[in-house]
Amino acid sequence: MKQMIALLAGLFLAHAGFAQDVFMCRNTGLSFFSATPVEDIDATSDKGTSAINLKTGEVYFKVAVNTFKFKKQLMEEHFNENYLESDKYPNAIFKGKLVSPPDLHKDGTYEVTVDGTLSLHGVDKNYREKATIVVKDGKPTASSKFNVKLADHRIKIPTLVIKNIAEVVEVTVKAAYTAAS
Amino acid sequence: MKHIYLLLLGCGLGLNAFAQESLEALVEKETVKTHEPVIATYKSTRLIQGHSPETLKKRELDFRVAHHFGDLGGEFGGPKTFFGLDNSADVRIAFEYGVTDRIMVGIGRTKGSGSLTQLYEGLAKYKVLAQTTDDHMPVTVTLFGNAVVSGMTSSTTVSDASYFGKFSDRMSYTGQVIIARKFSRNVSLTLLPTLVHRNRVGYKDQNDIFALGGGGRVKFTKRLGLLLEYYYPFRSQESKDYFKSQGRELYNPLAVGVEWETGGHVFHLNFGNSTAILENQFIPETSSSWLQGQFRWGFNISRRFSL
Repeated sequence: MKQMIALLAGLFLAHAGFAQDVFMCRNTGLSFFSATPVEDIDATSDKGTSAINLKTGEVYFKVAVNTFKFKKQLMEEHFNENYLESDKYPNAIFKGKLVSPPDLHKDGTYEVTVDGTLSLHGVDKNYREKATIVVKDGKPTASSKFNVKLADHRIKIPTLVIKNIAEVVEVTVKAAYTAAS
Repeated sequence: MKHIYLLLLGCGLGLNAFAQESLEALVEKETVKTHEPVIATYKSTRLIQGHSPETLKKRELDFRVAHHFGDLGGEFGGPKTFFGLDNSADVRIAFEYGVTDRIMVGIGRTKGSGSLTQLYEGLAKYKVLAQTTDDHMPVTVTLFGNAVVSGMTSSTTVSDASYFGKFSDRMSYTGQVIIARKFSRNVSLTLLPTLVHRNRVGYKDQNDIFALGGGGRVKFTKRLGLLLEYYYPFRSQESKDYFKSQGRELYNPLAVGVEWETGGHVFHLNFGNSTAILENQFIPETSSSWLQGQFRWGFNISRRFSL
C-alpha cells in the first residue's frame, strides 16, 4: 500500500514536472516597421500572449490585431478597418516548433530556428525564421526579427499610398516567459 | 487493490490528457474576453454636413474647411454660374480637438447662410456609449452641443431676425443626441433627435425647433461608400404656411454623398439642398428645394494631426 501511495505521489509530481516544461508570457511585445523614403511607419503591441514547451520545442503566439498602437490614430483606424480587417480577422497567430531544440532547461544563450505557420489576415503561410532564446535562472526569454511580405497575406496597398507603405515589413517579437501554473 | 489500479490508470490517463493539452488551449484560456468597441462606424466626425457619432481621438487636432457652392440648377444655377461653382453659399473654417478619446471640442467661423451671418461657433461632443463587437452595447450614443454667436451689424428694422436689441439676441444653440449602430462592415445607420434654439427669430418663426435627423452609410467596396442624411424639422403648420405665403417656403434638408477612402485621406463629394453648413441654420432655415434645382455641391476638407 505504501508503495502505491508513493507511486501516486510520483504521478502527481510528474504533473508538477510537466508544468515546468511549459512557460507562458502574457505580455509578449510585438512591433512592426515599414520603411519607405516617404514615410516610416511603426506600431507596437505589448498585449500578445505566447507559450513555449521546453521539452517538445513547440511555440505558440497570439495577438489581437487591434491592440497595435500607432503614432497617428487615423493610421491605426485604417490599419484595422482596411488593411488587416480586424473585425473579420481579429487575431494574428503563429504556431510552430523549434528545429532540433537544445536543452532549454539549462541557462545559456541559444540561437534556434523556428518552423511554423503564421495566420495573418486570414492567410496561413509557412515561415522558417531564426530566433534567440536566452535562459536565465531557468526562465527563457525569446526574441526574433523577421520579414513579412504584405502580398503574401493578401494585404493590399491602395495605389495612392503605394509610396508610403513598404511591401515588406519587419516584425519584431519579444517574450519573457514565466512557468505556466 | 483493483480500485487502486483503476485509480492509477485514471491518474495516468489524466496525466496524458494534461500533457496533450496544447499550448494553443493554454493561451486561449489566458485570453481575457473584453467588450471591444466597434471601430469606424463612420470615417469622419461628420456624416455629411451634420454630425456623426464619431469623435476625434485624444490629442488629435482636426483642421476643417467646409464649403457649400451655389445652386446647381434653377434660376441661379446652370452654365452662367458654372453650375453654382461661381457662388459660395456658405463656408466654414474650424479647429477641432480631441480632449480624450471620447470628448472633443472645437471653435469655428462660418460665413452663415440664413437670417444671420458672421457666425462664431463653440462646440463640444461627448461619446457616452460605444457599441461593442459582442453587442454587449448595441449602439453608440454621442451628445453634441454648440453655441453660436453672430458678429454681424444689427439691422435697423426692429422686426428683422437680425435686429439685436441685446447681445443675447445674437446667440443660437443646437443640442443633439446621436444614436448610431454599425450593422455590418457595410451598413451603418444613425438617428439624430435635435433641438435648435435661436434666441431671436423673425415674425411667426419659432425660437425652438425640434427635428429628427436620420442618416446612414452603405459601402460598396472596402473604400467606397454612399452616404445619406435627412432632417425633418417639426415646425408648426401655421409657421410653415406663413413662410410659404411670404414666398420663402421651407424645405427639409436632404443630402447625399459619396465617400472615398484612399488609404490615408477621405474624399467626400456631397450634394444637398440646404445652403447653410451649421445645424443652427440648415435645420430651421432651409428654403431651397431639390425639385427646383436648388441643390449644390459641397465638400469637407479634414486634415487630422496627431499632436
